[in-house]
Amino acid sequence: MRSFVKLFTAAALAASMLFTRVALAAPPGALQLPEFGSLADKAVQAVDITLDGALLNLASGFLDTKKPEDAAAKDVIRGLQGIYVRSYTFDKDFVYPQADVDLVRKQLGAPGWQKLVMTRDNREHSKVDIYVCVNGGRSCGLAIIASEPREFTIVNIVGSIDLQKLHTLEGKFGIPRMSLDEKK
Amino acid sequence: MSRPGEELLSQALAGDTAAFGALVRSHQRAVYSLALRMLSDPQQAEDLAQEVFLRLYRNLSSVGSVAHLSFWLRKVTLNGAIDRLRRERRYQAVPLEQAEDISGDTADTDPLLERRLRSLLRQLAPAPRAVLLLRYQEDLDPTEIARTLGMSINTVKSHLKRSLALLRERIGEIA
Amino acid sequence: MSDDLEKRLRAALRPVDPGESFTRGVLERIGSEQAQPRWGTRRTRLRWVSAALAASILLAGVVAHQWQAQRTRRGLDARRQLLEALTVTSHKLDIAYRVVNDQDDNTTASDPDDRT
Repeated sequence: MRSFVKLFTAAALAASMLFTRVALAAPPGALQLPEFGSLADKAVQAVDITLDGALLNLASGFLDTKKPEDAAAKDVIRGLQGIYVRSYTFDKDFVYPQADVDLVRKQLGAPGWQKLVMTRDNREHSKVDIYVCVNGGRSCGLAIIASEPREFTIVNIVGSIDLQKLHTLEGKFGIPRMSLDEKK
Repeated sequence: MSRPGEELLSQALAGDTAAFGALVRSHQRAVYSLALRMLSDPQQAEDLAQEVFLRLYRNLSSVGSVAHLSFWLRKVTLNGAIDRLRRERRYQAVPLEQAEDISGDTADTDPLLERRLRSLLRQLAPAPRAVLLLRYQEDLDPTEIARTLGMSINTVKSHLKRSLALLRERIGEIA
Repeated sequence: MSDDLEKRLRAALRPVDPGESFTRGVLERIGSEQAQPRWGTRRTRLRWVSAALAASILLAGVVAHQWQAQRTRRGLDARRQLLEALTVTSHKLDIAYRVVNDQDDNTTASDPDDRT
């Protein structure tokens, strides 16, 4: 009897761990972002936005489609599962943990991520990487990682991002026309 | 024709609600604009601005003069806004709202640049944002700003210098 | 440049009027603060008890309304964050686009021996 209880407990534990692992596994297109909260006090500007699916739905209900920006935003976020922005600006060079930012960049080497744009300005020590996640022939996310001596920005959009729709935001959020010929 | 400020204040102190209403009308632009540019939300700004005037009504006897009234209103508005922002732990602001378009455009304005400036301003942390508003919206000098916000003059000057440099850099990036 | 920026800041930060309804709103709130119930005759007390009973029924409606108001605040806040996120995204795309464009311009005008 006791060995049956032990076996049952072990099986239940293994099942719950497996379930947790599955539940916690990030969806395709999602990046694991470090905790940057402590940087807010050192930063001159801090932007920390986390919009999961529920919040995106809530926001969508409050977009006024009579306003061009709201209508464009509503169109872009259809089908998205999350938008995450971490952007910090400092008044001194390299006070932020570059290693943490580079760790996020490394995630873009995983299968599924395709490079769209990579720019390097060695004089200004700035880098901008834009990647698209593709899964089963469909886009599943967008990642932008931009770093300069006094600022870094990470944008992760999870879900089926339509580059054509991003294209149509031109003029509304200052997005210029992007070439849809992906650079690999 | 509006009654002089001191006369209105005395009448409001004596319980004249109409006089208090006139005081509200003469200061609501400044109070609401400060709240709006700190909180970046017209509803929240209206809510805060109304609270400020309610508090003024309850504490009118502590306001000695019209000059002190302006100081009192700015101080209470900014303290209220900073408290709200800190409670919500938001330093970033919200661009692209109705408030963006409300400033009247005249022939020699650059609406796009001004809109961008307002958006950039809202990305500043509460303290430097309040300093810039008192300087360029309320036209106060650093000594008055320091007094209103309870900061040293050096801190005010430092905020002004760094914030202007940042705005200049950001505007230069976009230009 | 400094004077121009300061001039533009002043223009951008011209005060905005909240409108006549704002003043009315303040005065209404003052008016409702001033209203006080008076306890006096038995009839008056009974009247106030029934009013209190009716008020508690209304309270349920108020709570529902407050919940809705809270939801509205959350929704508007989510909307603001969304628009902010899209603005940051577009700004970074813009920077990348300009760098790429500049590189393209340099490439087309550059030395034919350029190996990139």
